[in-house]
Amino acid sequence: MIENRGLLSSGWAMVTHNKRYIFWFWLLNMTLAEFGTAAFRNQAHAVLDQSLYSDKLVHGFNLSVLIEMFARPEFGPTKAPTMATVYFITLFFMATALFLPGVFQGYASNYRLPRDEFFRTCGRNLWRFIRLLIVAGIVMGIVCGILFGIQGALTKKAGDSTNELLSFEVQMITLTIIFLVMTVVRVWFDLAEVDVVLSDQNAVRRSIAAGFRNAFAGLGRLLADYVLITIVAAFILIGGLWAWMRLVPASGVWGAFCVGQLTLLLLLIPRFWQRGVAVAYYQQRMLVPVVRPEPIMPEPVVAAVVVEPSPSPMIPNIPPAPQES
Amino acid sequence: MKMRWLIVFFPVVSVIVISLLVREHAVNAAPPQGAAAPVAMSPKESASGKSPEEAAIPDTTLAINSSTPMSQRVVHYEIDAHYDAAKHIVDGSEVLTYHNLTGQPLDHFPFHLYQNAFHPKATWVREAKLYGSRDTTYDKWEDKEYGSEEIKSIEVVGQGDLTSNLQFIQPDDGNKDDKTVVDLPLLKPIAPGAYVQFKIAFHEQLPETQARSGWKRDFVLGGQWFPKVGVWWHGAWNCHQYHATTEFFADFGVYDVKLTVPEFEVVGASGVKIGEVNNSDQTKTLTYHGDDIHDFAWTASPRYKVKDDGVFQGQMGPVRMIILMQPAHWSQVGRHEKILRESLDHFERWYGPYPYKTITLVDPEPGSAAGGMEYPTFITGDSNWFMPGGLHLPELVVEHEFGHQYWYGMVATNEFEDAWMDEGINSYTEVKVLDSILGEKTSVLNLAGATLGDREVQRLGYTSAADLDSIAEKAYDYYNYNSYGGITYGKTASVLLTLEGVIGQETMARAMRAYFMRYRFTHPAKEDFLRTIEEVSGKDLRWYFNQAIYGTQVYDYEVIKLDSFPVNWYEDEKKAGKKKDDKSTVYQSTVWLHRKGDFVMPVEVQMIFDNGEKVREHWDGQSRWTKFTYEKKAKVESAELDPDHTVHIDRNDFNDSQTAEPNGKPARKVSNYWLFLTQWMAQFVAWWAV
Repeated sequence: MIENRGLLSSGWAMVTHNKRYIFWFWLLNMTLAEFGTAAFRNQAHAVLDQSLYSDKLVHGFNLSVLIEMFARPEFGPTKAPTMATVYFITLFFMATALFLPGVFQGYASNYRLPRDEFFRTCGRNLWRFIRLLIVAGIVMGIVCGILFGIQGALTKKAGDSTNELLSFEVQMITLTIIFLVMTVVRVWFDLAEVDVVLSDQNAVRRSIAAGFRNAFAGLGRLLADYVLITIVAAFILIGGLWAWMRLVPASGVWGAFCVGQLTLLLLLIPRFWQRGVAVAYYQQRMLVPVVRPEPIMPEPVVAAVVVEPSPSPMIPNIPPAPQES
Repeated sequence: MKMRWLIVFFPVVSVIVISLLVREHAVNAAPPQGAAAPVAMSPKESASGKSPEEAAIPDTTLAINSSTPMSQRVVHYEIDAHYDAAKHIVDGSEVLTYHNLTGQPLDHFPFHLYQNAFHPKATWVREAKLYGSRDTTYDKWEDKEYGSEEIKSIEVVGQGDLTSNLQFIQPDDGNKDDKTVVDLPLLKPIAPGAYVQFKIAFHEQLPETQARSGWKRDFVLGGQWFPKVGVWWHGAWNCHQYHATTEFFADFGVYDVKLTVPEFEVVGASGVKIGEVNNSDQTKTLTYHGDDIHDFAWTASPRYKVKDDGVFQGQMGPVRMIILMQPAHWSQVGRHEKILRESLDHFERWYGPYPYKTITLVDPEPGSAAGGMEYPTFITGDSNWFMPGGLHLPELVVEHEFGHQYWYGMVATNEFEDAWMDEGINSYTEVKVLDSILGEKTSVLNLAGATLGDREVQRLGYTSAADLDSIAEKAYDYYNYNSYGGITYGKTASVLLTLEGVIGQETMARAMRAYFMRYRFTHPAKEDFLRTIEEVSGKDLRWYFNQAIYGTQVYDYEVIKLDSFPVNWYEDEKKAGKKKDDKSTVYQSTVWLHRKGDFVMPVEVQMIFDNGEKVREHWDGQSRWTKFTYEKKAKVESAELDPDHTVHIDRNDFNDSQTAEPNGKPARKVSNYWLFLTQWMAQFVAWWAV
């Protein structure tokens, strides 16, 4: 338990000491989404702006007006705004992959990472991350495919039962299992990503192997921490939606925007917290232990031998022990 | 003594005279081709040796709150059926007594064998594949989808076994592989006024639920499950094939049905239960009786939970409400009972009395295609174990199916040819009743700030298929299933709601009541309904009916443009320093209206000026466009067609109004939802993938 609190609190400390990352990622998320929704917005304005009928969307939320808006030829096919959204979701995904190494470096540093160092780390690790993501994508795809295949088969089987709830219960149980398994995979690749960046590891496969070993070495505490943080995220989402529905009047467009954005901003925190946990775990468990060499006392009758400590990327060189004469 | 002789003498003489008259008429009538002289079946001639009283249609009133029959009873079905729950097979015998009230001899009788529709080559399945259907896509055919209905033998009392005379006919599409209608030529025609008795043995394989009939897991819904005679209507047999878009049509009469099912089954059925006996072979036999109904349906499942203590005090007497719920939906039994009771109450107050002693509401097996169906005194709802209170789906379905008790059940129009007179009129009354119970804006959905009203749902259904078919189309002649649904349900409801604006809500309510009371138990046709409305309203509404009922015209009016500019615009420009929006400035404001569609109808339009003044105008809609011009010390701010929102058939409600200045708030609101969704999705993907 103490160790768990240690990881969680260490990770949390990293997040709070580097709040700016969350802000910038939220800004990036919102900016890209603004571009992504531009097509939708323009089409909505074209249909809604000059009709009194649209007021039914403002004072309350009349679903039939929304459905009718989508059906209007002047709104155009829904494929266009949907595709734009998909493209910008992809862009945010790529941007996250690009900037994440800098975040890891920042979390691992005990000083405020200068901007040039941040971006240098991002650039240095770009190709490594792409390779990592490809491997992660393959692993996740296979695991997901197998698990969802099993889920589909079990749900179909449960559907034959006369117990109506069984199908739902099977779905919930299997989804929970899938979530846990996918979280383990996520832990594995989070550790691999941290290892790539902080070990400056060019051979990505070694980081993947190290991530795998260490994920399973500390699986219980890491999984517990990750799940706990995910639950926090769920509460943030539910709380945000509740505030949106209950506290913002139906016609309060700006109020809704602010509550929505605050929710999305807060939703970024848990994921960065998980990454902080990964960095903390790396620092505590994955660094190659380096034993400070004891100075070797020379035999009185033998000439003194100077022992050089082995170099480590993370431990500064230790000066040799002073020679006795 | 003398009196005793009189009592004997007069009935005997009456019987002889009537008998002679009947024979005379039968001889005078031209016998159909190849048919022998018509005979009136004497009960003594029947194989069973029944007396004349037994051969008649019973005038029982056991199942209705009336001391006399309410319909002209044409048929009496006595069915004894055994259900094999393991194989989903029904084996039964049926004695059908038919009273020839057609006024002419009948030399052949067509029968519906509905379950034969569930065969890959049958018209029903072919149409479902081609045009779509309510709940079955038939992407691939599975054995469990087979249904069949076979007449193993048929004897016409007095004419012997005529099984070999049976011949399948396809009156609608000539599809030789369709076996949903079988015709039986008789050896001797049945005289007018006479009775004929058919003794039928049938075997039936029920399919996995399709078209609200069949089995699912251990549940079964027996709908359209026995050989059923066609209807003599408008001088001919009306016995259509079973189509993917059609429902049913049958004569009123009496049903006495014995159902033998496994002992563990919980059973619900049309009519009233009059007996239940446990048999030695772990089965039980339940006996049901129905009066003045035209079909009989039943259901069985070992898992139903039953609530049958609810009683509605109707105008003609108490109505027992029997509710069969799925165990996982038991918490919703109160919702079901409440909407059923309120529907009964509204229909009795608005349209007329419900005469039957029972109404059975079945919550069918989840995932089955058995939800949302009507049979006489027997309806199925549709629910789910998770049904939030703000989602009024169970209420919508129960109200709709109960409404059928009036339009399908009692008025009993021909659903093959005039589907709109049941489904459409019922959708209209559904809107009225649900508006009254659940609110006009929230009758379908009132959840998390989102709302949806039933009248809006009906209109959306209509606008999705506005111009391909007319309401008056035969149900099996629609372009496709979407057009059938959109027009039959949605357009009819919207057309009748719009009619309220033409003749007034109160007049429309009187017309609907008059129609029901006048035509219940009579199988009216479309003109009966339309004439009743004209008669009650005292208006010639042909201009409306010709477009809305018989035509495919589409209503779409728009405010095409509005504009204001200073009358002395050239002077204003010269006056340096004059404020742009001076209150003394006189503006010429013009509003242009356009009739985009081909449906012509007078309409109101309201202009609002920026000083708050409102001006209403009337446009007859005859020309393609018109304009209204004003000179006022105010600019026109907005123009709105149909400001009282009485027109429900407009294809596009957005262009019914226009504002001078754009209002971006609605678009910003919905865009904000889209933005949130986009950002959240992006975060979600990044969460798991990076």
